[in-house]
Amino acid sequence: MIELKEVSLEYQNGTLALKDINLHIGQGELVYIAGPSGSGKTSLLKLLMGMENPTAGTVTVLGKSLTNAKPRKISRIRRKIGPVFQDLKLIPGRSAMENVLMGVRFLNFSWAKKNENALIAIERVGLAHKAYSMVENLSLGELQRVALARAIAREPKIIIADEPTANLDHDNAVNIFNILSSLKNQNITVIVATHATHLFDPKENFTLIRMDQGSISIEKRFCSNGERDIDTQMHQRSIRVERRGDV
Amino acid sequence: MKNFISNIGYFFKEARRICRTNKLSNVFTFLGTTLVLLLLALAVAGWSVSSRLVFMLEREAEVSAFFHNSISQSEAQALAGQIATFDGVLDASVIDEAEAFNRMEDILADEAGVLELFDENPFEAYIEIRIKPQKVSQIVEKLNNLPQIESVRDNKDILDQLSSLTNALSAIGYLVVIAVGITTIIIISHMIRQGIYNNREQINTLRLLGAPGSFIGLPFVLVGMLITISAGMLALGIALLLILYSYGRIGSTLSFIPLPVKSELMLIVTTVLVSVSVLLGILGSVFGLSSITKKSSPSS
Repeated sequence: MIELKEVSLEYQNGTLALKDINLHIGQGELVYIAGPSGSGKTSLLKLLMGMENPTAGTVTVLGKSLTNAKPRKISRIRRKIGPVFQDLKLIPGRSAMENVLMGVRFLNFSWAKKNENALIAIERVGLAHKAYSMVENLSLGELQRVALARAIAREPKIIIADEPTANLDHDNAVNIFNILSSLKNQNITVIVATHATHLFDPKENFTLIRMDQGSISIEKRFCSNGERDIDTQMHQRSIRVERRGDV
Repeated sequence: MKNFISNIGYFFKEARRICRTNKLSNVFTFLGTTLVLLLLALAVAGWSVSSRLVFMLEREAEVSAFFHNSISQSEAQALAGQIATFDGVLDASVIDEAEAFNRMEDILADEAGVLELFDENPFEAYIEIRIKPQKVSQIVEKLNNLPQIESVRDNKDILDQLSSLTNALSAIGYLVVIAVGITTIIIISHMIRQGIYNNREQINTLRLLGAPGSFIGLPFVLVGMLITISAGMLALGIALLLILYSYGRIGSTLSFIPLPVKSELMLIVTTVLVSVSVLLGILGSVFGLSSITKKSSPSS
């Protein structure tokens, strides 16, 4: 599903955002990417979205290489991804419903299915009562849910969310995490970059990628039965194995 | 295609929104395009009228070839038939002495009495040759090479000037059409670029969501086409009113100008303006859209 081999990313100003990343994410996996600000979380997500080109290595998403891919090919892959951007990227002057529809209009669904998907997604994030409110009149938490609804309505194979709970209160953040983790039951791969490691549901299977200064330092997988299932694929310098409670 | 049809309503809604968000800019674009297209309409009308004038004058373009007296009537007819086959000759016919006398009487009208001073008909038979003015030199040269021809009266200076006038009018017409075309394309493409700039965040979001360039660009093409076609319609309305008004004025004061049939002229102007508006609207929009479709960095 997603494969990164020896991937490095250096920005034009000389900042080395990612260093020799090797990563495999399978279908239906729930993956959290944690790490301090500037550790490379957003850069990694940008690579997966085709928003950046790796300076070394190869990025493969849904079986297609994104490395030096043409814009048209990148667009085709993006259509199978449901992104939740850090800055949300909702379109002002439109309702929540219109914003959600904007994400599906160009997809190969029937007119009825586009509307149905948008409505279901809005309901799923608990915003049915505000579906036709202009985004300017929604709170930050509601806006974040609109962005998530836009991603869900696209019936994506992968959801990539960058700090989807930033600036949210605890209840709203838990709500967003619950929705995201429930998506893997639909065989959707969910990748979430977040600081909010305290919100992970210990009963869920998930993979945690810790990032530090552009390197993946630990990759762990937790099982719902409480036993550790430690992914032995470890990278770079500090290789640490933690108990579930250490997360 | 199914996707396109299901999104038609959205495309028009977006086009209306783009028009509203850049209202002032679009109003100026509309007015500017209207004036440019009105200029085109007037140029087309002027071209049509002058072409008609030139055509009428060209029909009158002729040379007279005088043959030797020894040639019989039937030989003169055969010679006229031979001349009629020359490139650039529209027709050639023999004018006998009596016909030449009658024509002069018509020309002199009230002064025709002067012809009675002659004891006998002073005019000679000749071959009247109607020609294309552009070919006058070649035809005169060929006529001079015919042994039966004694002399040629060619009005070459006048015919050359007529030919130059025709060429100049055509050149001016082409120049106006090219200038109007380029100006309209620049105005429309600039307006589209302005719209794209004003909506750059939305366009960037759509790109990140994987929207194809055609989906993003179509509302902008629609705006360009709607503005150009509306401007074309307004220009057409003004031009038709001006034609109606001008025909009324010219018909009564400058009746010697051979104007084309009014309905024909209006049809020509309408056809040209409608097709040019649609074509320029598409071209202007496509040029403006090049900033969306051109290869961009992966981040957009």
